[in-house]
Amino acid sequence: MRICGLVGATALTLILSSGAFAQEASLDLVEPIAEYKIYVSEQVAKLVEDTTAFTAAVKAGEVDKAKALFAPTRVSYEAIEPIAELFSDLDVSIDSRADDYEKAEADPEFPGFHRIEYGLWEKNSTEGLAPVADKLLADVKALEGRIASLTFPPEKVVGGAAVLMEEVAATKISGEEDRYSHTDLWDFRGNFDGARKIVELVRPLIAAKEADFLKTVDANFNTVDTTLVKYEDGEGYVAYDKLSEDDRKVLAAAVNTLAEDLSTLRGKLGLD
Amino acid sequence: MLDPKDLRRPSLSLDRRRLLKGLGATAIGGSFAGVAKAETLHHSVADAPVANATNQIDSVPCLGVHQAGIVNARPANGMVASFDVLAKDAGELETLFRDLTARIAFLTVGGPVPVLDPKLPPADSGLLGPMVRPDNLTITVSLGASLFDERPWLAPLKPKHLQRMTRFSNDALDAEICHGDLTVQICANTQDTTIHALRDIIKASSRQMILKWKQEGNVPVITPGPDGRAESARNFLGFRDGTANPNSSDATEMDRVVWVGPEDGEPVWAVGGSYQVVRIIRNFVERWDRTPFGEQERIIGRTKMSGAPLDRRDGHEFDVPDYAADPEGKATPLDAHIRLANARDEASKAHTILRRPFNYSNGVTRSGQLDQGLLFICYQANLERGFITVQRKLNGEPLEEYLKPVGGGYFYTLPGIRDASDYLGSSLIAAARGA
Ligand code: HEM
Ligand SMILES: [Cu+2]
Repeated sequence: MRICGLVGATALTLILSSGAFAQEASLDLVEPIAEYKIYVSEQVAKLVEDTTAFTAAVKAGEVDKAKALFAPTRVSYEAIEPIAELFSDLDVSIDSRADDYEKAEADPEFPGFHRIEYGLWEKNSTEGLAPVADKLLADVKALEGRIASLTFPPEKVVGGAAVLMEEVAATKISGEEDRYSHTDLWDFRGNFDGARKIVELVRPLIAAKEADFLKTVDANFNTVDTTLVKYEDGEGYVAYDKLSEDDRKVLAAAVNTLAEDLSTLRGKLGLD
Repeated sequence: MLDPKDLRRPSLSLDRRRLLKGLGATAIGGSFAGVAKAETLHHSVADAPVANATNQIDSVPCLGVHQAGIVNARPANGMVASFDVLAKDAGELETLFRDLTARIAFLTVGGPVPVLDPKLPPADSGLLGPMVRPDNLTITVSLGASLFDERPWLAPLKPKHLQRMTRFSNDALDAEICHGDLTVQICANTQDTTIHALRDIIKASSRQMILKWKQEGNVPVITPGPDGRAESARNFLGFRDGTANPNSSDATEMDRVVWVGPEDGEPVWAVGGSYQVVRIIRNFVERWDRTPFGEQERIIGRTKMSGAPLDRRDGHEFDVPDYAADPEGKATPLDAHIRLANARDEASKAHTILRRPFNYSNGVTRSGQLDQGLLFICYQANLERGFITVQRKLNGEPLEEYLKPVGGGYFYTLPGIRDASDYLGSSLIAAARGA
């Protein structure tokens, strides 16, 4: 917090006065990166808190409560996925899917959120899930610890906006992420919020030069928002299979376009 | 980047073409204007691609009354990709059509790939290197019924026979590889060129359409015989395919068979277009290979080795069978594929279609069989009189035991890009605006 307060003003002045920030980016990015780190830390703290409650419900055999907590717990993970993925061992054990294992759901190696999701929805039971829940909580806490000591690589942070969209485009728009619970729209929310956060943080650095670009990006984020709003239900969202075919297409095109556009963000900020 | 004037290039003499070919990449690298040629090497859709007769710098002009990629001979590789379109109004659809036109204009002529700041993603996939060669590329755009049906402002302009493909008796249609709002047929000498074009189009149109399915295929490249004439290429049943196609270098015949004209009672915007039928037809090749040779010939109605009709087995592929002299089907069975498809009487002339198929080979089915078949594509001026009538005649044919149509759809191929100031679908957009 201190860093961003201090460097913030200076960096901004520099940008505004020099105008030549496209090539030399590292200094300008200090503030956004510091702020992003705070954002990620907040999200991961929330993830630990929510996962504690979620896994407690699983271990107590409270199927309905665990089901209710599943989707909201994941949102904070999905929002920071580009950072979580820097620790691939943890990403695998927290968020991998049955397809990643040779025997799919029946594979004893199948861990994490989706293993619990499978038990809760397909078996309507928490049987055998206690060790999976313990491991999940331990992994999430380990993630928090590793993030705390991580120096955020600027290109990963800025590139993260596109990464989030690439993931939705490649393996989420099909509804295969939360295939047992159909809570995919919650994940989308997390992914879009995470991507938008990154855009917001670097916006001041490119606002002058890239007005058209930002306008297009904003328009696509707004398309996503107005589409998702239609499917809100209480605190969250209806099941993914309620998404109309038309709206699925609208979301798919917005995601593809955001992936195309945001793939230029690193370059626009002079990052390799 | 390219001067649109270059698209309207004159036809070059053969000598000049050879000369330019000799110059190879240098010629392209320098001035692109004169290099591309307008003539095509072979003259009929049915003709197989001829070995060593075509070059990466060969190009098919993309301007004209009709779109390219229909009456041109098939190059070795073809693909159909189907998309869902997002456009909500005429303006958005126009943007899509103009963007597609711009990509077609570049890709079919070729030229250097723009070089961007290395910190940005590259402008081009780079599959073809720094210099895109035309490689006989054609890109043909057609529209599905759903594009019209789902848009009240477009619905009144739907071509009168355009409809969602419905099931025929032997079909097992898989929804994941059927229909679509817009198809792009991409054909070129090499697969790299077709894939490069597809990736370019996807990148350029990501905000306007979403890929739904695609099927790639190819035509075997044939070395011409001593007489200089190439035989028809074989399909995956081992038979020559394309023998009895109408002559696509005969413009009058093409006007009759393929192109929608003012007299067809279609919406005015549609004149110069055509109905495109795509059928992904799986062949049960293991079973076919276990079928007696003689039976195979009777099922198709031609000799397997030469392609000659069964009533003149020693004849030539292009000899015409005389069904009138064989009313009981002793030589050519009455239910042979070619006899059902075309009885060769006065009445069947109205049902002529232009077939432009590619073989496909996809992988292995869950049952451990080869997933191979025919990417059947045909064009006709009247969908009902053409494909639908012919397919109805084929319903129940003995060949069905070896075939399973699983995908595809009906589409309307837009009229051509008339000149460098025009764009694909301009007549439809003008009509939609009530202009
Ligand atoms: C995988 C499916 C198919 C295979 C393997 C196949 C194979 C053949 C072969 C070997 C010939 C003889 C060579 C030639 O004249 O081109 C032929 C002719 C023909 N086929 Fe097919 N065909 C298939 C599907 C279809 C379909 C779906 C149609 C249209 C509904 C069709 C219409 C015709 C026509 C009109 C002829 C020419 C008949 C003539 O004028 O003598 N074919 N086909
Ligand atoms: Cu995830």
